[in-house]
Amino acid sequence: METVLSIEDLHKEYSGGWRKPPRTALAGLNLVVPRGKTIGLLGPNGAGKTTTLKCIMGLIRPQAGKIDLFGGEVTGAGVRKSIGFLPEQPYFDLYLTPRKLLAYYGRLSGMHEADIAARTAFLLNLVGMGEEADLSMDKYSKGMLQRIGLAQALISQPEFLVLDEPSSGLDPLGKLQVRDLLLGLKGGGTTILLSSHQLSEIEEICDGVAIIHKGANIASGGLDELLRPREEYEISLEKSPPPAAVELPASASWADPAQTRLLVNKGELNEALRSLLERGALVAEVRQRRMTLEEYFVEQVGSEGWEVGE
Amino acid sequence: MGGRGVRAIGTFAWSVVQDALHRKVFYAILAFTVVLILFTPLIPSADVGVQIDLMREAALGLTSIMAFLLAVILGATIIPGELGRRTLYNTLSKSVRRWQYYLGKYAGIVLVVATSLVLTFVVLILFVLIRFGVFNPGLAKALFAILLEAAILVSVAMLASVYFSPLIGILLTGLFYVACHVKGDFLYRGMTGAGQNPVVKAISGLFYYLLPNLERFNINETIAHGERVFEVGAVELLLLFAIAATFSAIFLYIGGYLFNRRDL
Ligand SMILES: Nc1ncnc2c1ncn2[C@@H]1O[C@H](COP(=O)(O)OP(=O)(O)OP(=O)(O)O)[C@@H](O)[C@H]1O
Ligand SMILES: [Mg+2]
Repeated sequence: METVLSIEDLHKEYSGGWRKPPRTALAGLNLVVPRGKTIGLLGPNGAGKTTTLKCIMGLIRPQAGKIDLFGGEVTGAGVRKSIGFLPEQPYFDLYLTPRKLLAYYGRLSGMHEADIAARTAFLLNLVGMGEEADLSMDKYSKGMLQRIGLAQALISQPEFLVLDEPSSGLDPLGKLQVRDLLLGLKGGGTTILLSSHQLSEIEEICDGVAIIHKGANIASGGLDELLRPREEYEISLEKSPPPAAVELPASASWADPAQTRLLVNKGELNEALRSLLERGALVAEVRQRRMTLEEYFVEQVGSEGWEVGE
Repeated sequence: MGGRGVRAIGTFAWSVVQDALHRKVFYAILAFTVVLILFTPLIPSADVGVQIDLMREAALGLTSIMAFLLAVILGATIIPGELGRRTLYNTLSKSVRRWQYYLGKYAGIVLVVATSLVLTFVVLILFVLIRFGVFNPGLAKALFAILLEAAILVSVAMLASVYFSPLIGILLTGLFYVACHVKGDFLYRGMTGAGQNPVVKAISGLFYYLLPNLERFNINETIAHGERVFEVGAVELLLLFAIAATFSAIFLYIGGYLFNRRDL
């Protein structure tokens, strides 16, 4: 499988400043992003996600480790032409209008003047900022800046997108739009690496995740492998039985107060179904439960405690 | 370097001009200078013959201060500002090199200073013409020398700004300015003076040979007195240009090297 990015044993220490000890941000991080895949980088605050992404973009220098992009060890300006980057909390010179700003980034990306106008208009519509294209950005809200950040990352039609918390600061509708936008890009063959705290979003768009904590990997792999189905079943009811009357097996428990979803272990599934049916319940669906990414994340990271950094 | 690199540098330079046009401090410095120049005839003087010289000297002095202030303020604030606002991350993640950014910003600041000097030149020349009936294009020579000195100051301020905050950058550049203006006199005496402490001698000597003699760029007095005593010729101006280009190149090289290595 062709890899777009591979990181081996990355170490990064930030110098603490005058007579202060250095802070370790990355301690032997590994990461592989195969072509065409969407990979999520997860981890608690201070885990080293932003540091990793900045190393990839050449904004900071790791003390040790190897970063291969597109199969070569070039990290210069040339390779960045094929990468789109959205920094954490993007910010711009606010006296500009988005149209002028995107033209500026287009020029820096080496695009032809003739293509810039069309690409800019297209991207502003794509991120839902078409109407505000000529409004100077000091009138913008946080989420609007985030959308412009996404647009600038896409300016040169990159084949690899590196996004640091793409949906942070967006309203619910904005989050949906970003998810659809990323799914669209993914469908078009773009490789994506994104860091996020939105686990549901990651679950919906990512093929795989890497969970990091204190600068090192604690779990990684395809979502299908990580979130292995459990030995637990969920029974959804169309019509609930009269509450008091049902005798349920020991492992069974209601998942909601209205008693329309019952969780039960595999061994007692049939027994539970039988007693439900006897009491006149109508079964709509029975399915095996898959762990949510949130549950998995808490299981992996939560066991390490909640302290952030040092 | 190729067309791509030139375009990137041009884009960065132009962004400085746009940025300056949105800064109040730029207009404030410019307006203040012009207003003060218009007030120079109020300087008391005994006889009418020297009034024009006095006025020209004062005006050129004011113009120098304006140019140096612009150079140092812009040079010391642009990089720390972009780092603080995090706009640098978007910019440097595009397919540009850091030295292109660095050089582009330098060129942009020099362009802003040059434009301001052209504006003051127009004010000066009209003023001298209207007030004294003298058409004096020779003033341009003094402004050219001011621009060259400002260009060196920009490269020094930018070098300081790679690691230091704007305030410290401005102070360091100010120190550089003072040291380079007194070196011909003060440092020379420190280096050669009899009975000096050898440590003082060594340090004075080191700085004497390391620093440019910025006093050379101050031809305001000669120009203000209508070049009656010396004439500033093309050779002298070319020499000044060569000195400014050399020192700017050295400071730009060191600054660009450090900027290329630093974590953002
Ligand atoms: N410029 C810096 N100087 C010193 N330490 C830093 C710097 N940037 C980050 N760190 C430290 O490095 C560690 C990792 O930070 P990083 O920003 O990569 O975390 P993150 O995973 O992106 O967190 P978040 O989810 O909060 O964005 C933290 O302990 C942080 O304190
Ligand atoms: Mg982060």
